[in-house]
Amino acid sequence: MSSHASDKFVYHEPGLQHQFEDMKQQEESVSIGMWMFLVQEIMFFGGLFTVYLVFRSKYPMAFAAGSNHLDAFWGGLNTLVLIVSSLTMALTVYYAQKGNRNMQVVLILLTMFFGAVFLGVKAIEYTSKYEDGLVPVAGLNKKVKENPNAEHGAAQAKPCYEMGHGAEHTYINPRGEFQWVDCSLVKVAEKGGFLTPEEKIGYYSNGDIDADKFRDKVRIFYWIYFVMTGLHALHMIVGIGLMTWLLWTAWKGTYSHDYFAPVEMSGLYWHFVDIVWIFLFPLLYLLGRHFLH
Amino acid sequence: MQNADAIITDSSGEPKVNYLTNGSTIKSWLLTKDHKRIAIMYLVSVSAFFLMGGLYAAAIRLELLTPASDLMESGTYNKAFTQHGVLMIFFFLIPAIPAILGNFLLPIMIGAKDLALPRINLLSLYFYWIGGGLTLYALLQGGVDTGWTFYTPYSTTFSNTFVMAVGLGIFINGFSSILTGLNFIVTVHTMRAPGMTWFRLPLFVWAQYATSLVMILGTPVIAITVLMLAIERAVHIGIFDPAIGGDPILFQHLFWFYSHPAVYIMILPGMGVISELVSNFSRKKIFGYEFIAFSSIAIAVFGFLVWGHHMFVSGQSIYAGLVFSFLTMVVAVPSAIKMFNWTATLYKGSILWNTPLLYAVGFLGLFLIGGLTGLFLGSIGLTVHLTDTYFVVAHFHYVMVGGQVIAYLGGLHYWWPKMTGKMYSEFWGKISAMLVFVGFNLTFFPQFILGYQGMPRRYASYPEELQVLNIFSTAGASVLGVGLMMPVVYLVHSLFFGKPAGDNPWMLPGLEWRTSSPPPTENFETMPVVTWEAYEFGEENGLDTEEARRREAVSTVS
Repeated sequence: MSSHASDKFVYHEPGLQHQFEDMKQQEESVSIGMWMFLVQEIMFFGGLFTVYLVFRSKYPMAFAAGSNHLDAFWGGLNTLVLIVSSLTMALTVYYAQKGNRNMQVVLILLTMFFGAVFLGVKAIEYTSKYEDGLVPVAGLNKKVKENPNAEHGAAQAKPCYEMGHGAEHTYINPRGEFQWVDCSLVKVAEKGGFLTPEEKIGYYSNGDIDADKFRDKVRIFYWIYFVMTGLHALHMIVGIGLMTWLLWTAWKGTYSHDYFAPVEMSGLYWHFVDIVWIFLFPLLYLLGRHFLH
Repeated sequence: MQNADAIITDSSGEPKVNYLTNGSTIKSWLLTKDHKRIAIMYLVSVSAFFLMGGLYAAAIRLELLTPASDLMESGTYNKAFTQHGVLMIFFFLIPAIPAILGNFLLPIMIGAKDLALPRINLLSLYFYWIGGGLTLYALLQGGVDTGWTFYTPYSTTFSNTFVMAVGLGIFINGFSSILTGLNFIVTVHTMRAPGMTWFRLPLFVWAQYATSLVMILGTPVIAITVLMLAIERAVHIGIFDPAIGGDPILFQHLFWFYSHPAVYIMILPGMGVISELVSNFSRKKIFGYEFIAFSSIAIAVFGFLVWGHHMFVSGQSIYAGLVFSFLTMVVAVPSAIKMFNWTATLYKGSILWNTPLLYAVGFLGLFLIGGLTGLFLGSIGLTVHLTDTYFVVAHFHYVMVGGQVIAYLGGLHYWWPKMTGKMYSEFWGKISAMLVFVGFNLTFFPQFILGYQGMPRRYASYPEELQVLNIFSTAGASVLGVGLMMPVVYLVHSLFFGKPAGDNPWMLPGLEWRTSSPPPTENFETMPVVTWEAYEFGEENGLDTEEARRREAVSTVS
């Protein structure tokens, strides 16, 4: 993969690319390059975090309502899974430096396993959002036909702030649209007097709480939720791809005390993806939970 | 082989292999890791996009020859100026100097064999091609009419054109510039030759470094913004749609957070080229090296704090406006530092009036006007009158064309003998430099007046009283077009019939002039060791000053 025709009789360490003088220079370059890549990743996610920040400060109640419907158990479990996977990743780097091939392979497999568990949990969560009618895109939710025997219309008669969002599976949603009927949090905030000016305009029509207008704001939350966690999951998939390659090269015994940069760089990437989740979890799942009590 | 005499032979009489002759199959180009070959491929592709953007400009100027919208109807005109903007900004101005001149010269200037990450460099070229291809596809399908700024909610909800394809093209092309920036940063940090300390770096390298910082910090933000725009357009949730509580101003904030720093991506490299040209063609150590170097970094940093001056009248708070207005004034300071230092360098220099210097001097004048009118637009009171008029159009063309394009042409002429080993025709070079200067001023200076008189931008028709100045402008555009086409002819001509340039045709001390022209694949026969400061013109540097004086005498006589 390396070497150049003009290299003639120069001794080359394994993995040294033609443009570098020695391994130290190569490692430094690769490391700075990876850090710069992570910097641009931070800016990439930074745009999304800005969008989150702006809309949350505009519509905190809608965000609290949406957030409280996410399952903090699954989110917490995933946080734990990712932190443990970071540990196994860090240990992989350690054993790569030691040149211990077997431990590397085992730990990479473990890291991949935890990554897969994370994605599996994410799939469970997405499915539940699909069934609850909380995917913000029209037509992408579970389509529920009208049951001719059930009496309906009773739910709609009540104002939206008296309905919980517990009756997810009984609503009628023949076209798979985004569903949200519960605006009780707006009532709480109205009584407490802490609605923001945007909320006072955004949730009300004719001086009364409007379920449709509130739903639009919750939908913005779910838009942000799906885009942020979706992009994060995409990064996880890329990470697992990297791990597969790493597994193959570690299996061949490529890495040793002298050459372990690929392991270290993949590790940096893996940790970065973890850290993004460490920010996503509280922002999406936890903020606003105090309204549950 | 008609250029056999041009091949430099070493002592054994064997023709030396340079980067151009090292492999001639298509594969050896498409899979190359050589930064010089990648730069040449960029040169060809970027020039093609420049030509296309130029054709749209010609269409716009032809339409504006008469007050009525007779050549194009308004919808077509909207597409014409949008595509002019998209092609010129994302596919010409941003990659022009970094990806062509920077790619070619940065490793040579610091004495490296290649960029630190050559595969990433090739990948960035492929991203450029894919992004460009998608954009071309959209243009062939019918184009896009939102303006290059893609303001929401028009772009997300109402426009019936190919916003998605162009957006995706820009998204992918963004990674090209991120990767180039990343590569440059790494290369400057780790690949400098022994003795090449930070303060011996040519100022071109400093400028590229500052540009790269902006590229990796700013470009990801436009990427995510365009991605959100695309998702919005596909699924219509309305986070940018005020009807359901979305925020169109948020899009503008995100967009300009990148696109204002991007303005500096489009001018900083040009400033780097001008530092080279001014110092080298006045044969004098540059005045205030550290100030010029750090002012590049300062521009990169301040550039991130002024995006709000694009939004003075679009609904941001007046207090934010005041702060942005103040910071906009601040960013003029480092630019002014550069201007003063360049002028001081020219003072009492022994100036060679070659084509590159003609471009450099043109840059000084044009950038002065472009920069100062930027202050007009940055003052929050005056800008209410000038926003979205031709004053703005003239201002940014003075900075972008008068700045970056002129600097790019100057740099291209300056390093052409190094890149190809051939000398272009100095006579035609000077003619074209002067045509570009005259044509440019004739095109855009009337637009300042038009804008001040209230002619709004982005309309296909205008009141009849404004026709005289518009005719001037269109006439100027024709001259400018001829001036810009001429280098294509005589530079290509020089490839086949040009005189061999020799290793150091300008008699300069920089590292790039200490290797053969064209350079070998790994740039230097042996690893260079740098023992001199940047821009030191003296015999102790191994420069043949006698020869330089003789050439100077010849050039003053002729």
